[in-house]
Amino acid sequence: MYNLMADILINVCLAFLFGSLLLGLHRKVMARVQLRPGPPLIQYLLHSLKFFFKESSWPKTISKPFYIAITVILCAIWVTGIIVGPVLKGSLMIIFGIYAVHKIVEHNSGSSSGSPYGKLSCVRAVFSASSELLLFASVALLYLITHTMDIGAIITYQQVHGPLIYKAPLLALMFFMIIVTKAPYSPFSITTGKDIISGFETEHFGFLRGYIMLSESIMWYVLLWLFLTIFFGPISLLWIFIGMIIITIITGFISAITPMLNPNHSVMSQLSIALICAIGTIIPIMI
Amino acid sequence: MAFGDIVLYINPFHLFMFVTMLVFTFLIAIGRTETQVEAELGTLDDKTKKVDLKEFKARRFLSIICGIATAGAMITGDLYNLTLFMSLIGILNIGIISSVKQVEVLDSVFQYGLIAMMCSLPLFGGAALILGACGTVSLLAIQSIKPTAMMIFGAILMFIGACGESGIAPFFASKAEMFRTPGSPFLLIVHLSSLFIIIRVIEVLLIICT
Repeated sequence: MYNLMADILINVCLAFLFGSLLLGLHRKVMARVQLRPGPPLIQYLLHSLKFFFKESSWPKTISKPFYIAITVILCAIWVTGIIVGPVLKGSLMIIFGIYAVHKIVEHNSGSSSGSPYGKLSCVRAVFSASSELLLFASVALLYLITHTMDIGAIITYQQVHGPLIYKAPLLALMFFMIIVTKAPYSPFSITTGKDIISGFETEHFGFLRGYIMLSESIMWYVLLWLFLTIFFGPISLLWIFIGMIIITIITGFISAITPMLNPNHSVMSQLSIALICAIGTIIPIMI
Repeated sequence: MAFGDIVLYINPFHLFMFVTMLVFTFLIAIGRTETQVEAELGTLDDKTKKVDLKEFKARRFLSIICGIATAGAMITGDLYNLTLFMSLIGILNIGIISSVKQVEVLDSVFQYGLIAMMCSLPLFGGAALILGACGTVSLLAIQSIKPTAMMIFGAILMFIGACGESGIAPFFASKAEMFRTPGSPFLLIVHLSSLFIIIRVIEVLLIICT
């Protein structure tokens, strides 16, 4: 008998464990490209678990309850992402909404601490949202091809018509840019740039940081799962894992060999890519 | 229909956005503001910026109204209501920020206000064109109508209007500067309402144009 709750729990645990290992792999790839040994693959996972047992402290400048609630919200939205994505194969619009709330978390997590580094990250989150949401709109443009926003229906569409990566390579590129943007140390990760310490994460310690790290590993898993599912169609779990490893290695290379862009260049680059890809997709459909 | 052309139009996506807005609005209602710490130029000291009580009350009131308006925009199935909610959110965003006393932030909100005001013309104009072309503003009814050139033109105008009202790219340059002031919960609702409105508008445009 199918048990929805068990399915959700298994998927959330899988996303956390595999997402953490993938982020560990990303760090390892970066290190090897830069001729460093790098930490072990399980380092990110150990870090995430460690923070749940460390002492938590509250800066006296914080805005309560947002400083605390925002990390719980971050965790809640990506667990929702697991439910809507891998478990129910529901609407892409909800995932779009989840991504928007993620940008809000970056914004508020930075501003609610009162830290100047968090504040700069908050302003950068506003800048980056304007271009990242346009990139994420690639999922809306898929509607013009498949006439559905339902992930399950998109998989069925690909069973009949073949993978969408061949039909809409520019949309796949747009979505891949989102993955690159969310990769650690990427040229577009202006909200967590090292020039502002750790950006919106700077002032969050203890279990709050644990929540953030847990959510980031789930987010990484969900984004990679989405990319593989909506552009490569019905592939087995094994191929999804292999695909995730390959994409993580590619993003590791990109992060290792590119400097971080300044906020204006980052936004304009993303915006240009989004517009070129969107126009390049819409015009053939209209013709 | 009991309420004329006004229809509720709810699916899991709208419900998710609606509930999220209500959660954030509740947090704003019970939340306090942060103390912003900045480096003092010329010395090694820090300076702090706080929101005073009078300003706090005014901004919190406007933020809660903005949250409710955005929640309304998430579940309305009426195109005209959506445009009204959008323009209300634009006005409230200006109000939330214009209570502060920092000159550069006020300059920024003035510029955003000009853009929002100008963009209300394509916003309502687009909605009016769609009404003229379809004979209805009900999204449920529009969903079943085959798109015409006039509907698509109206949708493009609406999109331009929504971009201006919510201050997203290419208008973000003025809006991002508005966030350099203290008052984290109030800045949150300004940003959140803009992002959610854009997502809802994308959904509505897909309904109109396909």
